[in-house]
Amino acid sequence: MTMLEYDEEVNNCVCFCCGNNCDDITYLLKDKQIVGIRNACRLGASKVVCHPDQRLLNPMIRNEEGILEETTWDEALDKVAMLLSESIRPLLYGWSESSIESIKKGIKVSQLTGAVMDNSSTIYHGTTIQAFQNVGHPVTTYGEVKNRADVIIYVGTNPMSDHPRHLSKFTAFPKGFFRQGGRKDRQVITWDPKFTNTAKISDDWIQFNMNEDYYFFNALRTVLKGQKIDDEVAGVPKDKIMEMVNIMKNAECGVIFLGLGVSQTLSKQRNADILIRLIEDLNSYSKWSMLPMKGSLNVGGFNVALTSETGYPYGVDFARGYPRYMIGETTTIDLLNRREPDVFVSVSDDPVIQFPGYSIKHLVNIPVVQIGTTWGPITELSDVVLPSTNLGIETAGTVYRIDSVPLYMKKVVEEPRNCHSHEWIFIELYKRIQQLKCKGDN
Amino acid sequence: MKTINLFMKKGVTIPLEFDNVLPELLYDKSKEEIEQTIIYHGNQEEPLNKYFIVEIQGECDKADECTIFIDGDLYRVKYIGNRMSCGTIIANGNVDLHVGSMMSGGHIVVNGDAESYAGREMTGGILEIKGNVKEYCGSSYIGEWRGMSGGKIIVNGDAGKQLADCMMGGEIYIGGNCDILAGIHMVGGFIEINGDVDKWPAAEMKKGTMVINGKVQEMLQSFKLEEKIQNPFIHDKYYFGTYNLYSGDIGSKGKGHVWIKEH
Amino acid sequence: MEYILKRGIVFDPANNIDGEEKDILIKDNKIVEEVSNNAKEIDISGKLVMPGGVDLHSHIAGPKLATGRLYRPEDIRKGIKKASFGGVDGFEAGFSVPTCPATGYRYTRMGYTTVTEAAVPPLEAKDTHEQIKSIPNLDVPTLTLFGNNWFMLKFVKENNSQDLMLFISKWLKLTKGYGIKIVNPCGSEAWGWGKNVKDLDEPEPHWGVTGREVIRELTKVNEKLGLPHSVHVHTNDLGHPGNYETTLETFDCVKDIKKNKNVSRDQILHCTHIQFHAYKGTTWRDVSSGASELIDYINSHNHMTCDIGQLTFDETTTMTADGPMEYDLFKLTGLKWSNKDIEVETSSGLIPSIYSNKSPVSTLQWAVGLEFLLGVNDPWKIVLTTDSPNAAPFIRYPKIISWIMSNEKINDMLDNEVHSWATRRTSIAAYDKEYSWNEIATITRASPAKILGLNDRGHLGVGAKADVSVYDIDVNDFDPTSLQNSSVIEKKLLNTLYTIKDGEILVKEGNIVQLVDSNHIWCNVKGLEEREEDLINRIKPEFNKYYTINYENYGVCNHFIKPDTRIDVEYGD
Repeated sequence: MTMLEYDEEVNNCVCFCCGNNCDDITYLLKDKQIVGIRNACRLGASKVVCHPDQRLLNPMIRNEEGILEETTWDEALDKVAMLLSESIRPLLYGWSESSIESIKKGIKVSQLTGAVMDNSSTIYHGTTIQAFQNVGHPVTTYGEVKNRADVIIYVGTNPMSDHPRHLSKFTAFPKGFFRQGGRKDRQVITWDPKFTNTAKISDDWIQFNMNEDYYFFNALRTVLKGQKIDDEVAGVPKDKIMEMVNIMKNAECGVIFLGLGVSQTLSKQRNADILIRLIEDLNSYSKWSMLPMKGSLNVGGFNVALTSETGYPYGVDFARGYPRYMIGETTTIDLLNRREPDVFVSVSDDPVIQFPGYSIKHLVNIPVVQIGTTWGPITELSDVVLPSTNLGIETAGTVYRIDSVPLYMKKVVEEPRNCHSHEWIFIELYKRIQQLKCKGDN
Repeated sequence: MKTINLFMKKGVTIPLEFDNVLPELLYDKSKEEIEQTIIYHGNQEEPLNKYFIVEIQGECDKADECTIFIDGDLYRVKYIGNRMSCGTIIANGNVDLHVGSMMSGGHIVVNGDAESYAGREMTGGILEIKGNVKEYCGSSYIGEWRGMSGGKIIVNGDAGKQLADCMMGGEIYIGGNCDILAGIHMVGGFIEINGDVDKWPAAEMKKGTMVINGKVQEMLQSFKLEEKIQNPFIHDKYYFGTYNLYSGDIGSKGKGHVWIKEH
Repeated sequence: MEYILKRGIVFDPANNIDGEEKDILIKDNKIVEEVSNNAKEIDISGKLVMPGGVDLHSHIAGPKLATGRLYRPEDIRKGIKKASFGGVDGFEAGFSVPTCPATGYRYTRMGYTTVTEAAVPPLEAKDTHEQIKSIPNLDVPTLTLFGNNWFMLKFVKENNSQDLMLFISKWLKLTKGYGIKIVNPCGSEAWGWGKNVKDLDEPEPHWGVTGREVIRELTKVNEKLGLPHSVHVHTNDLGHPGNYETTLETFDCVKDIKKNKNVSRDQILHCTHIQFHAYKGTTWRDVSSGASELIDYINSHNHMTCDIGQLTFDETTTMTADGPMEYDLFKLTGLKWSNKDIEVETSSGLIPSIYSNKSPVSTLQWAVGLEFLLGVNDPWKIVLTTDSPNAAPFIRYPKIISWIMSNEKINDMLDNEVHSWATRRTSIAAYDKEYSWNEIATITRASPAKILGLNDRGHLGVGAKADVSVYDIDVNDFDPTSLQNSSVIEKKLLNTLYTIKDGEILVKEGNIVQLVDSNHIWCNVKGLEEREEDLINRIKPEFNKYYTINYENYGVCNHFIKPDTRIDVEYGD
């Protein structure tokens, strides 16, 4: 093995891989290029180091033969501005790898064009947000878990695979102020229909039937209220439920982490809804909180930025000049399934990987614009491609961690010559659309 | 009596928003004025006559005496009868989201199916749907804990998921079956379901009454079977047969009643 | 630009100008004695002129607001207003938790130019400053939460006042904070375990430190550093019957501490939203007003000031760093409860609150607030606030002003509108004081500016910041004491004729005509830098062990505070 050669270290960088935003990353640079990375997990490291050949480097427009052809920024931006200003139901989706600063510029463009603006909450933790809106919002920051929690429950989530450093850096393993023993001072429990990697390292695994989350959580709550239940509920024996309630009641400080396994099963938002009620009840006995395990870099930040500007967290429709928000009506999947959008702008996410087939089909029929860094399935569907920069590596900006702790990401290296930040792209688009509108008015 | 007939010229994919087309706003308007009524199409404002042929019969001096008759391919016309307070709207065909939402009076008849959010946060009036309705019929707006508080929703067909979320008052009659979590967070009012009900009706119910004449796939653990009653008198009439009376939801310290017919 | 505001009726209590017809001369961003011939004249003959409004305690930006907006879409929906046609102001949304732009528009229309964001958890200070960037047209000092910080608790426990001072001074720099905020000292930390402290002397479970020690030590540090504002305290036991005794003890517990000789303010302790801390009794059944005792204390002591937290009858959102209190409220009302504990620093919570004039408790709270407004003799000791949005959203200030200017109005409400607890359980009916315009200018401008230690505002003297609000009220032909006029006052005070900030016209004839970036006001203690670095080197290992972000990523960098006003404080040993 040869020693990695580098001539510069940049410390305390924020990882741009997932919503945990580990902020102890060191990039190793040689000749102003990243050649190595320290402290990141495999997912984080691979996202930075791999795939340089798939990087989008120049703006492209699909020509009449259907082939993406390199072009100038001016032409590409004018084309997008034209598409957006002529559209009557534009949809701007993505933003999970955009900074707060660029999201705010995106909001301005959405407002100007009467667009719908949405992010991946619509397919991931939007239901959890709905539950927050319906019954309450008992959350915490990671540090409270690290310093205090003696019972940690993972339900419908598998951070050992999805957020590899989550347990070791923030929750189960580290030594906390009141948990100097680290992992051995805590009880880690997984509730999941599947025996996940997280279940493997847990002290206990409770398997409940698929799609019966609500039934199971309701039974926990019923037992907590001192009522009798059947011998088996949702595939879980009564004794197990009683034991679980006992553990929860007697915890000093407990936290429930919930994932897409809860937010996207049969009862949707009601699963998180009843978990929140359970937590509200448990707080009469001890201290309990919860946190949704959001996936991407800045999903939470998008919700914060959008609420501070428009009042609503995702799926905001500016068609009438003021914001409207209605799940099932102004959210991306529903809009696509109803075949409404006539222009689709994908910012940093790849909806073709994320969305159901039926929804994607509509993208084939309408103009699609990709603003992103890498060639992916969405590029194949796009009519215009605008190459952007990686936040936290080539562009500075603010992001919010899963628990809404804001972090400022530094710029580490120069961006590729012909790539621009999302912020720049949306400032340019705003200018161009405004010019088009002025012309139209005269 | 005045009848305003609206015939849709051709169907649309991007929905039209019809919240300005209400008896109380149009009863004293001329044909030309009605033709110029603003409806919304995506981010555009359009006059009504771009998509509809307008015809008027009769005259009236009270909005109550005005009937709006809408015909054509209405499956992408939303907000029909939104915030309506009087008069009548008859829609011939399947309608889109929010029909009769927040209505406080008057009468809406849909001769077809309705999309989600029909009769959302209704406070009065009657909403009749001859076909099926989708999700959140008679529910509250997201985040709002005070749902439908009055009026009556009559659905001849089936109802989708999470019927009558946070219902506080009024009446809902469903002729067909109901999907999961019917009557969730109910705090008052009356629901009658004549068909079968999927899992967990009346979850987290605090008060109110639900009668189910079909079968229930599964009740939650937090409901207690109180008693069996023959031919009970519930709400305003006798129900014939043997009914099991459940009370709950105990988890929410609820005192609601769910009557389920024995088969 | 130069302006002459001609022949307005000026109320400038700091300069003893009580309703004189007077021209106000503005050059660039200052009030001046003379302007050139090029100055633009604006005729405001006979109209009510005051300095730009100063809000001493409001919640307008930060994680609590983000949560409030996120989880109350039904509140957002209530305040939806389309953008004004052809204007510079965009749409508005939200009633008790308005969006950032709407917050700016509404304050600007009310003639307010300075608004204090009263609770900033250091870990999420970036969020607060980021949101302030979205609010137009205000100067915003932010108060940093220290009352439950572990490092603070440790230093207090060890009696280490030197390190505590360095810690505070450094943390104000890191968070770009303006002053020290203490919320339910030790109680919010106990909430980490689902507990609370019941009074000033119950020790926090782990460190064994009491609220009394925390308030005293932080007051000493505040005076030692000579910060422009005093400590800003939300005392223990908020919103519980019988809490007035704790409040009295809090008033009294710092009395012997010497004020720093370089500061312009008079107080060493500011107690906030006093209305929530003034109840007698043991339960909500036998509760009554404890305002009289507190008013007597305030009237006879000069070391403290307070703001009111006046309640109006609305559905609003309560939000505070007092986590346990919000859970108590949840148990009372069962409405949707939000809680967020922030590592090492504080807890926080939110819950919607419905204040109704039919409800005995709401009415009692309403009357208690008015008792303070009418009972405290010296208007320089009090400030009109609603602890927005806790007791009411800030857009209710004009309504409250219309009440306290008219005895007839209050009596009418007592007779016809509100529950009888107001008269039976409080002394509100015994007061017949009516506020004059001069006193209104004091409690909304002069007094908060003085208490904050911001001497460049709150008055219209030469050299002051050119922040002026002009209202469409013909002072000499208008009787604010009459019942009929109370709705007129509210309407006129909600919409200024002119709002001028830093010499720029923001509102002209009732319409917003200009949007400027809000200014972040923060406090920078000079002369301790080296010792602060030494402290950081000592505590960094602990910091990195117990926080989940690195120290290097903790502070608010300059990116978040453009533009800013740095207020330098020279530390003198």
